[in-house]
Amino acid sequence: MRPLDENETTVVFEKIFKFVGNNLKNIVENPSHEGPEPEAGRYCFRLQKSRVYYVSESLVKRATNISRKNLVSLGTCIGKYTHAGSFHLTIMSLNLLAANAKHKVWLKPTSEMSFLYGNHVLKGGLGRITDSIVPGDGVVVFSMSDVPLGFGIAAKSTQDCRKLDPNGIVVLHQADIGEYLRDEDEL
Amino acid sequence: MDMETDQIYQLDVGNLLAFNPSRRFPSPPSSRSFVKECVTEGTKLVQAIADTLFNLSSTETSDGPLVQLPPPSTKLPRERHTEQNLFGRPVRGFVKSFECITSMLTFFVSLLPRPKPPTKWEEFALKKGIQKRKKDKIVYDETTDQFKRRHGYDRVNDDNDIPIIEAKASDEPGEDPFAKRLDDKKKRVGKQEKNRLQNLKTAAKAGALPSHVQLAVTALPISGTKTRPQKIGKEALGDVAGLAATSTASGGKFDKKLPGEKPPKKQGKHHKYLPVVPRYGMVDEEKEQTNKLGDKHVQRQEGEEEVRKIR
Repeated sequence: MRPLDENETTVVFEKIFKFVGNNLKNIVENPSHEGPEPEAGRYCFRLQKSRVYYVSESLVKRATNISRKNLVSLGTCIGKYTHAGSFHLTIMSLNLLAANAKHKVWLKPTSEMSFLYGNHVLKGGLGRITDSIVPGDGVVVFSMSDVPLGFGIAAKSTQDCRKLDPNGIVVLHQADIGEYLRDEDEL
Repeated sequence: MDMETDQIYQLDVGNLLAFNPSRRFPSPPSSRSFVKECVTEGTKLVQAIADTLFNLSSTETSDGPLVQLPPPSTKLPRERHTEQNLFGRPVRGFVKSFECITSMLTFFVSLLPRPKPPTKWEEFALKKGIQKRKKDKIVYDETTDQFKRRHGYDRVNDDNDIPIIEAKASDEPGEDPFAKRLDDKKKRVGKQEKNRLQNLKTAAKAGALPSHVQLAVTALPISGTKTRPQKIGKEALGDVAGLAATSTASGGKFDKKLPGEKPPKKQGKHHKYLPVVPRYGMVDEEKEQTNKLGDKHVQRQEGEEEVRKIR
């Protein structure tokens, strides 16, 4: 386990920034009351075996007692580095992103299942959508009852969405909570 | 012994090796009969080696008959690396090992190290039967009745420690005996240096220079031999210069650099990672780094927003 170096931190922040924008500050300076210390600690990012974890500092201190071989996971895994060196956010970062998301999309009940199977979001399945979405922005997908279902990348801006035909892709799927069942081994 | 059915085996008694070049295996490798066949064939080969061994002349020792094996005829790869010359072309065509052929394409030419000719002292010692004696580091000093070291600070026979030199009948009145001692020492050292150079020259003639001297010798013409001064390439020179620069006591850090000399290639660790948990009382570098990068992003966003508003 080691902290991220400059390049790695920039890359991770870039990806998170697409989804949360200015709320990045909230993520970085989140106070955590996990440990026995009276003052609130911080959350920080740690790298273990090419996976990036979002952990509170008190937990990190305790985790230093476990050797690298035996340490499997700590805190929340937000993403992993591929063999080639690019970083992908995984579904386990959903809670973090959903709490701080800037761009949200709500799905109709009929198309929830389709998204949870890994398909992209079509215009016909769209319930509500926040304003000022630019193509390429990160979008968090909710159900109508405000349950976060996953996240993806916006394919069209909000304006263009209105003019689309019902089978056009609005959000490109990146991760959904169905992956907990489908890709159990890889998480 | 059955000589009629004895096939011609290739024997290398020096390596205790026997090889049957005309063996055909009728059964496939994974069957049990294959193992049995191998064992029977192996027995025959071992018998052949044993025959040859017992036919060699043996001397009787307390443990039994002792046989001197002939030199081996199979060429095995070398255990140690060969001597490396820094020249780009093969030196005098003395190519024995197969490594040389493969490495002729590379920059360094590897040769089997040649035996160097004995130095003048070595010849003399051989003739007179002088053995090398190991010298102790601590020697007993008669004058102070103490054990002192042989070389270095506070040594046994230091020239500066002699208070009185008794005058001899052959001494001239105006001469300074202390200065004379220093002079004699200088002459002895000079003579020794000359002998050393002469030994190196004979070694160079035979082509057996020690490797640390080769580089120094390349540029100079050695009189009396046909070797022409050869140049070495930029890379090898850079490597050697780097080695020389870092072989000072402080690793070459405080040496004055020549104009145009490039800084040495980064040595040691190539990546510095921050500590996992910040040390008690020290600055939390990781926190600072995260904050800095987070701020950068926020500022960039604000900058973009302003651009959008302007449009």
